[in-house]
Amino acid sequence: MPSAYDFPGGIYPPERKQRSSQATLIEAPLPSWVTLPLQQHSGQPATPCVARGDSVKVGSVIANREGMISSNLHASISGTVTEVTTAQITIEGDGLDEWFRLPSLDWRSAGRQELLERLNESGIVGLGGAGFPSHIKARVVERHAIDTLVINAAECEPYITADDLTLRHYPGEVIEGAQIIAKLCDAQHIVIGIEDNKPEAIEALQQALADSQPVPVELTVIPTRYPSGGERQLIKKLLDLNVPSGGLPADVGVLCHNPGTLLAIRHAVRDGQPLVSRIVTLTGEAIAQPGNRWVRLGTSVMELLEEAGVNHSALNQVIQGGPMMGKSLLTLDTPVTKLTNCLIAATLDELPPPPAEAPCIRCGECENVCPVALLPQQLHWYARAQDDTKLERYHLFDCIECGACSYVCPSHIPLVVDYREAKSRIRLQRIEATKAEHAKHRFEFRQARLAREEAEKQARKQARQAQQRRPSNTVTPSTSSDKVDLRGLRIAHAAAKASVKKAEKTLARVAQEDPKQSLDDLEMQLATAQENLKAAELQLAQAREEQSSEESP
Amino acid sequence: MSDTFSWWGILSTVGVLTGLGIIFGALLGVVSERFKREDNPLVEQIDALLPQTQCGQCGYPGCRPYAEAINQGDALNKCPPGGEATIHALADLLGREAEPLDGDAQSEAKVAFIREEECIGCTKCIQACPVDAIIGAAKLMHTVIEDECTGCDLCLDPCPVDCIDMLPRSAPLTQWQPIVTPSPELIVSDRQPAPGGLHAERL
Repeated sequence: MPSAYDFPGGIYPPERKQRSSQATLIEAPLPSWVTLPLQQHSGQPATPCVARGDSVKVGSVIANREGMISSNLHASISGTVTEVTTAQITIEGDGLDEWFRLPSLDWRSAGRQELLERLNESGIVGLGGAGFPSHIKARVVERHAIDTLVINAAECEPYITADDLTLRHYPGEVIEGAQIIAKLCDAQHIVIGIEDNKPEAIEALQQALADSQPVPVELTVIPTRYPSGGERQLIKKLLDLNVPSGGLPADVGVLCHNPGTLLAIRHAVRDGQPLVSRIVTLTGEAIAQPGNRWVRLGTSVMELLEEAGVNHSALNQVIQGGPMMGKSLLTLDTPVTKLTNCLIAATLDELPPPPAEAPCIRCGECENVCPVALLPQQLHWYARAQDDTKLERYHLFDCIECGACSYVCPSHIPLVVDYREAKSRIRLQRIEATKAEHAKHRFEFRQARLAREEAEKQARKQARQAQQRRPSNTVTPSTSSDKVDLRGLRIAHAAAKASVKKAEKTLARVAQEDPKQSLDDLEMQLATAQENLKAAELQLAQAREEQSSEESP
Repeated sequence: MSDTFSWWGILSTVGVLTGLGIIFGALLGVVSERFKREDNPLVEQIDALLPQTQCGQCGYPGCRPYAEAINQGDALNKCPPGGEATIHALADLLGREAEPLDGDAQSEAKVAFIREEECIGCTKCIQACPVDAIIGAAKLMHTVIEDECTGCDLCLDPCPVDCIDMLPRSAPLTQWQPIVTPSPELIVSDRQPAPGGLHAERL
């Protein structure tokens, strides 16, 4: 076992994992209806490919991925589609639970493309929280060499035990899933990072490690501390590598996956079973039978909690995710999605609302616990003042929103709320800025087009005049009352030519660097330069003609 | 005393300094000629701060001409779509005094919308649009490409049948909206959990 390195900061909140980790993993009852949102992943929402009244089986594709970063969506129960809207698809179950599975694939002999296509078809996304499509993540190897695959089993947030139970029950399958990803990315090592508060999972993994091949798997047990499950923090802890600011783990040759995702990958490849269910932790003081359940996607949160024996009079709030980073649900009439890893039905005493906020006393406690070594008190100051330049200088976008600063703040300032708001605001500003830039280019293109049209009109007029002049053969007074500035026009022509060349070069360079990027704006700039060149050419030709006609008579 | 005063010393000093002046002057002249820029970089910076709606409310035909005019000393406060934020950014950039906005500030981003059944297909709005955001042909219905429209309302006046409306730009649900802060009359002790259970002020 390599020595564990360390990331700065961190906190030790009460774990409260016992309630859900002691019960065994069971299947939640089959729901009679499901609501499947079209966006359960990062990127573009999927496009429905079923209509009202269609009958579907478990695993039938009901919405196709749309665009580059997106994911397929599958029916999670068999039955009839009752509603298709722009946001979600509702399916009424027939209770038969008929399956539609893809053929089984042997990942050891299957080709890369075949495996990627299977991940794509099966709608696998990262189940840890971000929901990034796995087939896109696996294609990172096209740009970066991957050396190590990290299985992020730290599960550092209080209450959540979904990964713990996954590893206890399916250690072999998770490691097999890791081998599949290692094969796809040519990773040479697999490292499992797990916190020492999961002894049963560690034992199960150790037994499963013995017969894992071909890539060697290493198990590293790290001390429990929040937020060691953060991607960057775990990579620092396990491998002593620093992921650069604004970069990805792939920049340092590492890929990180959650055990739940690896299990889903294994099911998709070996069993041909798309992502239609996931393990969800149901916990909190207001639940009579806490524990982990296999839940079909789209199951109503309300039904799930009812089944687990929720005490409505004691219930104060339901948090989706963990208590540090999760969000309090505004309504229980919402479905379980690919990203729901935990539902905490909390009583008022268990997770009391934060006391009223007091002014910052600049104690520096937040600075001590920040795992990214930021200065939360300064960020708080600038976020409230909306001082965006300062926020960027203090690396706001490196904040992982772990909530450690809010947790220790003696003034109970909701720091992370401020940061999230500031980040969203700055992102929106960036979008608006690119829109303005785009409008500017369109305006310039229009101006260039009008100039070209005007020049063409002039050229036609002149040609007509010249034709009329020749047969009559009368000496017309020189039309150039305004002095023809040949030299100026020649300079303008050369400049237009140079700008076309420059635009072409930029376009070619960007297209080579990143073929997937949208080139519309650059293409428009090139078109603008070409229009300008045409106008300059016409004007120059016209001026030359005028000059020669002046000299000839 | 007389030792320290010599004509030679004074003349050589004057000569050396004059020589240095000539050399550096020549150097500066050559460099400014060699690395001459056709465009004015300050105009580019001013243009980048303007909202690029190309609406002409400043009295100039587009944002770039206004940027050039500002560089020549025109007032900073003639851009209603940019509002106070743009005025302050420009004042910061140019080291000038920020003035109050000349005209009414726009409360929200808008886009043009053509009531298609009323459109007679005259193409007048197409000619007026500074960013080519209206598509259509003579005697055929026109429509506005929402994503490209800058909300400049230059198409409203030329329309002979008044079939163009300025509507608020639709924001997708996923887009950030400012958090509504509790009203000022709420005092700290009022911030109790709502009777429904969920304490909404945290969200």
